[in-house]
Amino acid sequence: MTTSNRHLRHGWWALFTFLTLGVVLETLHGFKIGWYLNADADIRRLMFTLAHAHGTLLALVNIAAGVTLRVVEGFDLEKNVSRALTWGSIVMPVGFFLGGVVIHGGDPGLGVLLVPVGAFMLVYASACTARNLSKALKSK
Amino acid sequence: MMPEPQPTPKVARFFPSTWAGRCALISIAWGLLMIVGWVLNTEWDKEPATNRPTKNPVGDYVSADTCRSCHPGNYASWHASYHRTMTQVANSETILADMAGLEITAFSTDYIVLEQDGKHYVRSKPEGAPEAKFTDPQEIVLLTGSHNMQICWMTSNDGRTVEQFPFAYIVAEDMWVPMTHSFLMPPEHITPYSKGEWNISCINCHVTKGRSRIVEGETFDSDVSDFGISCEACHSGGREHVELNRDPTRRFKLHLTDTPDQTIANPADMDGPTSSLLCGQCHSIWNFNNAEAHMEFVKENSDFRPGHTELKLRNVPQPSGADAAEKRAAMIANDAATFDNSYWRDGMVRVTGREYNGVTASPCFKGKDFSCLSCHEMHPANTEATALKQWAKNQMAPGKMTNQACLQCHQDMAADISAHTYHPEASTGSSCYNCHMPHSSFGLLRGVRSHEVASPSAIETIELGRPNACNLCHLDQPLAWTAGKLHEWYGHDIPVMEKDDHEISLAAKWILKGDAAQRALISWSMGWEPAQRASDYRWLYPFLIFELNDPYPAVRFVAWKSLQSLPGFSGYKYDYTVNDDLQKEASARAYQKWWQEQRDPRHTYEWKTLLQPNGTFRQSEYERLLRERDNRKVNLLE
Repeated sequence: MTTSNRHLRHGWWALFTFLTLGVVLETLHGFKIGWYLNADADIRRLMFTLAHAHGTLLALVNIAAGVTLRVVEGFDLEKNVSRALTWGSIVMPVGFFLGGVVIHGGDPGLGVLLVPVGAFMLVYASACTARNLSKALKSK
Repeated sequence: MMPEPQPTPKVARFFPSTWAGRCALISIAWGLLMIVGWVLNTEWDKEPATNRPTKNPVGDYVSADTCRSCHPGNYASWHASYHRTMTQVANSETILADMAGLEITAFSTDYIVLEQDGKHYVRSKPEGAPEAKFTDPQEIVLLTGSHNMQICWMTSNDGRTVEQFPFAYIVAEDMWVPMTHSFLMPPEHITPYSKGEWNISCINCHVTKGRSRIVEGETFDSDVSDFGISCEACHSGGREHVELNRDPTRRFKLHLTDTPDQTIANPADMDGPTSSLLCGQCHSIWNFNNAEAHMEFVKENSDFRPGHTELKLRNVPQPSGADAAEKRAAMIANDAATFDNSYWRDGMVRVTGREYNGVTASPCFKGKDFSCLSCHEMHPANTEATALKQWAKNQMAPGKMTNQACLQCHQDMAADISAHTYHPEASTGSSCYNCHMPHSSFGLLRGVRSHEVASPSAIETIELGRPNACNLCHLDQPLAWTAGKLHEWYGHDIPVMEKDDHEISLAAKWILKGDAAQRALISWSMGWEPAQRASDYRWLYPFLIFELNDPYPAVRFVAWKSLQSLPGFSGYKYDYTVNDDLQKEASARAYQKWWQEQRDPRHTYEWKTLLQPNGTFRQSEYERLLRERDNRKVNLLE
């Protein structure tokens, strides 16, 4: 499978997953579920919202990366960059989500430690992608 | 001839071509964004107000705002509580009443309230004087209370010293009444609070870490850590706690090991006396240790912190109980009137807001486990808004509105509660609270449960004039009936009683013959639904209607509210602040309404209720009891 296809496939599945999470969150709102909405669950609501928002946005980033790979001639991603983008897009929202499952007052659970790991992968992947794309455009 | 190629014109590059340049540009953009954010978030009008006490957390205090981010649930329950709104800065959101345009007269003064730009101003003039005599506007800057009543405090044009707008807003009734009508005090008592009273007195308990700070005379430069009673009032100053817990590794170590944080006080981890004392720092009748202690308190407040076992500059006298007889005698000898306005003669506290005195005098308190938190909780688990609103009414812990409160210790009674109460299990007569914490205290214009756990006693009723739980429910029964039941069920001695106590309902006797406090408590009980059921409410009307003309405003108010609770009088209109003639007129109108619309001509009224069989008063007895009325001045010191 080409890199482009991998990102497109991952992007659309991730989009499906995190949009579904969005629907679940709306349902929790709809039924006024205290575990999610009460004041003492402030941090849980924040974590789940961030998981939904980041997951969805990063799914779109993956789709964009897949399309860009097809459209821009000479643009490619190294294997490790592609993996960093894919896994960063998973690890970061999952970290937010896990951080919201168990909370300690105003602090998220330990799952939130995945967030900086994912963030690091994404920063690395985006920088490399920008560099590769710049090179490809310059060579045209 | 071909034209010479022109050099490409130099175009300024806005986006750098090197990675270093790009990173620098992105960093600058982030920096600019942060500056913009900071500027937008900065409140440029942060200059503290100069015409009222200000919020200024000092020393180890940091204010409740700081607690929110780490303790959102606890912050939410506190935010929903009336502790938070005990004092508030006045604005259009915190003022409960629609005050704009209010015109009201009392204390020989006409007052008018004006609203401008969301602020409220009061102008006053001598009663009946021309408009030109109105004083300069005084802005309403502080508010006390929000649950039952709200009091407004105005600028005094004397620094941070505030002055009372001498009226109370009764929230449930949506009505303004003169301050003197909001307490049980003699009708001739007409002096409202003086200027600076909030700064020197209310500040002691209605804020967190208030400092009066006298400048000179009646001029104050007062500040507070928080308006209202906030986190640090119960958990102690949080500065060290906040600073140390900025470190996430410390926080997670505490979370994951479930270790109590030693940098903050937690009442739930304290023994009963220690946790109760932090409630008692306000909910008690307390004194300064001496004049020097008072001056020190005025200057810097106290260094008492939750977790301490003494109030430091203050003390709570405890005159209740057999072992306190000497102290009690000394207090009575020193100032009998003040004693009687705060305590029953056996030292049991008789006013609301002073529950610590009652709790610590209770037999339950003798161990180390019993505390305010045995029945109350400050941070309920359910932080849903509706649940918090319900909880805030009395801050009871789950299940503690029921017998479970007592049965958590007295488990031996759980199997057969009726064997102890001699009432059916489901009856309100089997409620521990109703017998052992009856509504024999008064405050906020209503009967309030005594917080000194005690048993009903006919002897105490005779000796102290304190209503017993039995007769507060069985309003139709004479005291001798109660004495007989207590003798039969619990082996109490039967006291020597006067003839009336054998023949006339204690409630009927006291509402005519009793002092103002007794009349108020009986009037309140006549509106208490369990008592109405136990006593047959039909004979209560003429007594409550009669009390609409009581000399004490507080008694009139209570009688009116109780009358409204009876069938046919729901929503009945009556203004308890009007003059004697209008009161008589209202009373006559109510009597006529009862006689014509509510009285059942087929019902035979019982002799012991002091009524003729047709429902008219037994005139000679009625007049005799009125002649014998105890007209001692009562001024309950809530």
